[in-house]
Amino acid sequence: MEIIRYRRDVWGEEVILGVSWDLLWVVAVTALILLAAHAIFMAVLAKKKAKPSSEGPRIKRHDAIDRAFHWIMAGSVLVLILTGIAPIVGLRISWLNIHWIAGLVLTFVVIFHIIRAIFWQDFKAMLLGPSDFKEPFDEKIKPGKYSFEQKGMHWAMTVLVIAVIATGIILFLHINTPWWNRPAVENEATLGIFFLLHGTATLGLIAFTAIHIYFAVRPEKIFYTRSMVTGWISEAEMKENHDTNKWKPE
Amino acid sequence: MSSHDVMPDMGLYQPVTVEDAAGIARQFSTRGWLVGGGQDTYGWLKDRAKRPEVLIDLKGIESMRGIRETADGIEIGALVTLTELTTNSLITGRYSLLAEAAGRVASPQIRNVGTIAGNVAQDVRCWYYRRGLNCYRAGGNLCYADTPEGMNREHALFNASRCVAVTASDTGPALVALEAQMVIHNGSSERVVSAENFFVGPNIDITHTTVLRPGEILTAVRIPAKWANAEFYFEKVADRNVWDFALVSISAAMRVNNGVIEESRLVAGAVEATPRRLDRIEQAIRGKARNQQTADEVAALAIQGARPLNFNHFKMPLLENLVNRAVRGHA
Repeated sequence: MEIIRYRRDVWGEEVILGVSWDLLWVVAVTALILLAAHAIFMAVLAKKKAKPSSEGPRIKRHDAIDRAFHWIMAGSVLVLILTGIAPIVGLRISWLNIHWIAGLVLTFVVIFHIIRAIFWQDFKAMLLGPSDFKEPFDEKIKPGKYSFEQKGMHWAMTVLVIAVIATGIILFLHINTPWWNRPAVENEATLGIFFLLHGTATLGLIAFTAIHIYFAVRPEKIFYTRSMVTGWISEAEMKENHDTNKWKPE
Repeated sequence: MSSHDVMPDMGLYQPVTVEDAAGIARQFSTRGWLVGGGQDTYGWLKDRAKRPEVLIDLKGIESMRGIRETADGIEIGALVTLTELTTNSLITGRYSLLAEAAGRVASPQIRNVGTIAGNVAQDVRCWYYRRGLNCYRAGGNLCYADTPEGMNREHALFNASRCVAVTASDTGPALVALEAQMVIHNGSSERVVSAENFFVGPNIDITHTTVLRPGEILTAVRIPAKWANAEFYFEKVADRNVWDFALVSISAAMRVNNGVIEESRLVAGAVEATPRRLDRIEQAIRGKARNQQTADEVAALAIQGARPLNFNHFKMPLLENLVNRAVRGHA
């Protein structure tokens, strides 16, 4: 199995073409096995906890605008993944235009999110500090608004999404669009490196998207998904899962 | 890349049934190569631009030969040669459009061995791709033809998605005009695809020109009776009259009653990666007199949406003029 695909350029020199798509299957199978193992572990071995009630007073967790951002971003990432892997898995659809349009949507919502997170949201609530790393190993430590896993997922997705956007914009500049004609490629080797980075980041994005979706539908976490739809969690859910000294909702 | 005098070392299978051929094709998948007349194949192999492990020679399959009359038209075996298409009385009598198109393919020698399946399933013509460069169509990351210095006078006007090569088939546009059906066998089952949907552009699949998947074989072409004995027009413009690919071609089938066009199908060749159906023109001429005035009114519709490259702007007036001639009905 190859990791990187190479080709001969027009001068006969070996250049990078991109990441090997054999890795797509490795990522898919690995993610499936790990998530299945986790599901089995949770069903058989993990200590069962009583689920806190979703009734009673409601605590606002996400503003409508942040929920909208999340679902637009989720939709665009899924469209990007599906259209990106369509030609690799042999699905015959006219994918390229849909791909770059979804890419532009993702770019704009990410820029919006960065600005909003820095100037209007509690940016510190998402920062990972040394104390956060104790959280998974000590049941007594409860997180503030976001748990260690949520922060980890957020920052992993941040790095991967910025990587696919940055490399995607460079590749976008190399195709015909309504606004410009593609330029002549000066250096195939450099272009190949951007394809490699774009493909590698995509593989990471696929893995983390699978993990994110899995945890979003797990029974003990699904109230977070509900809050991403409705905006609230119950007071009981908050007290069970969060330290009210660290998170003081409006 | 230099051409070699000898064929590369590879395996050869010579099945005599479609089922066996499909089984072998499935077994070797992308490592196998189906060959009929071989007119598109041998250049690839001698240039070492494609390197299959085995050739699957279909010429021994009798069921893929012959032209038969059916309840609704005719069925042409995939191994029927282009010369046979030009001489068969069923074709020349009822579907002269196809006979004319087949008669303009390459040269008499090539038509004697080249098959209808090979003509429709042949790969695109592009200097760079055929030379073995690792362009988009070869699985690479860029196009050498669509560059400021690229040799692209033969290339696409429409629907170029990264790759700008065009279909080289002369019979493909005629078959789309005749609403032909392509019969595809995978060894255990058969599927039938309209000629219009048989060809795929680079936006759908940049490394293939047809819907054929590894392990599938085009076994026959069916032409419905709908367009039998209709009024046809075919014209191909190439740099040479013999042994050359079209710069632009036009295939038209029309039902005309008292000089009025009741229904038509117009299809252009060599302007994009697939035969290009000119449906705007078909709609515009419906119910109109088949004359010069109608032709002048609608011809410009043919080039709407064209996106010419550096050296193929000439194809736009060429296409417009061919459409004009097809609509009025004479050169």
